[in-house]
Amino acid sequence: MANCYIMSRSLTNAQRSVRVLQHYGILSHMVRPPQHLTGRGCGYAVRIHERDLGNALRLLDDNGLPAKKVHRVGADGSYTEVKV
Amino acid sequence: MIYLDSAATTLQKPKAVRRAVARALGNASSAGRGGHRGASRAADILLDCREAAADLFHLDDPERVCFTANATHGLNIAIRSLVKPGMRVVISGYEHNAVYRPLAAMAPEGVEITVAKGEPFSPESMVYAFEQALIGGASAAVCTHVSNVFGYILPIERIDGLCAKYGVPLIIDAAQSAGCVPLDVKQLKATEFIAMPGHKGLYGPQGTGLLLCLGEHPSPLLYGGTGADSMASGMPDYLPDRLEAGTHNIHGIAGLLEGIRYVKKTGVQEILEHHRLLVAEAAAEFYGHPHFRVHAAEWFFCQSGVLSIRPTKGTAEEAADYLAGRGVAVRAGLHCAPLAHETAGTAETGTLRMSVSTFTESWEIRTFAGMLKAYAGK
Repeated sequence: MANCYIMSRSLTNAQRSVRVLQHYGILSHMVRPPQHLTGRGCGYAVRIHERDLGNALRLLDDNGLPAKKVHRVGADGSYTEVKV
Repeated sequence: MIYLDSAATTLQKPKAVRRAVARALGNASSAGRGGHRGASRAADILLDCREAAADLFHLDDPERVCFTANATHGLNIAIRSLVKPGMRVVISGYEHNAVYRPLAAMAPEGVEITVAKGEPFSPESMVYAFEQALIGGASAAVCTHVSNVFGYILPIERIDGLCAKYGVPLIIDAAQSAGCVPLDVKQLKATEFIAMPGHKGLYGPQGTGLLLCLGEHPSPLLYGGTGADSMASGMPDYLPDRLEAGTHNIHGIAGLLEGIRYVKKTGVQEILEHHRLLVAEAAAEFYGHPHFRVHAAEWFFCQSGVLSIRPTKGTAEEAADYLAGRGVAVRAGLHCAPLAHETAGTAETGTLRMSVSTFTESWEIRTFAGMLKAYAGK
């Protein structure tokens, strides 16, 4: 199963997202995504299993932390943007 | 030492504060500057502290809690964010130089200051004076919640209401009230910023402060790295990064977090009542004394844990020196707030200020009073 990166606008935003997801039992980690994904230099993302994506996006939205952009990380290391 | 200078800095801190500072010095590096364990610990400290502060002041969004070096730093950010050249700004007659000087420095840019002077310990006269000043036209207002000289709790919710009525954004200086007097941001309508230190009523270390950003107009005072959006030449347009350039004072904030937890556990209303009891006890020692004039609220209803006393024999500075030589710490002079003294009519002499914390005990107040009376009787 692939991983997904939920892009965050800031460290604080990514931390809060991880805390919300962990609170609801969704395994998640804060990561530094590759720069070509952020388009703005250094950034932050929340890494989760693809199977949790739908649930995670709903929970983040419910908690005032809506996701703007999501990338799927393929087995070959490629990144594909997922429509949110 | 009997420490009665908590309005400057609370010297006695909860043990958890000291432990947290020492622990963070050993295991927390820079938040947002890496994905390793040291950086993660630092990031956790920052978010825990933002969440604790947001909870204390009933703020929904912890990302609106920004770290500053002290209240002065936060006030400068707030003033520079809201006050633009040519504006007229209303301030209370009890402001500290942390408010007055940044505004006075903008006089060459055409910034005008209108001082709303109300009688000491008279909320009605303060509200009346503030409304008269707002009616005269204003683009922004700044008001302290508690006078650092007199411990007078200004009617800040009513002043906020007036500012809302006249469409004027308000900055609150909570230097003396944070952690000592209840403040609920949900009750405020016109307030855009609340600035406070970490090292007074929140029991954190010096070099820490908080700026609560309730409005949509924060402008950075410092520019630099934030650990994100590195390709952009400007500061991020989101909080808290917009106002937090450079490395955080992580060990200080670790201590502040424990200080805020202590305040929450103790209860702000309970802290205020403890402070009032001690101040009332001190004031009672000097009422009617031929060599002292006490500046306090009737029945202490708008009084916090700060009390100003004016010796009529000798000077406040001499009295404070006498006490310092005997192990009692108080402060004498104008307390960086000449405006407050002009408003209250004490600018010529200044005052001797005693201020308490949750660690202050009744016997310390009695010892202080006894020594001060002994000084006057010399």
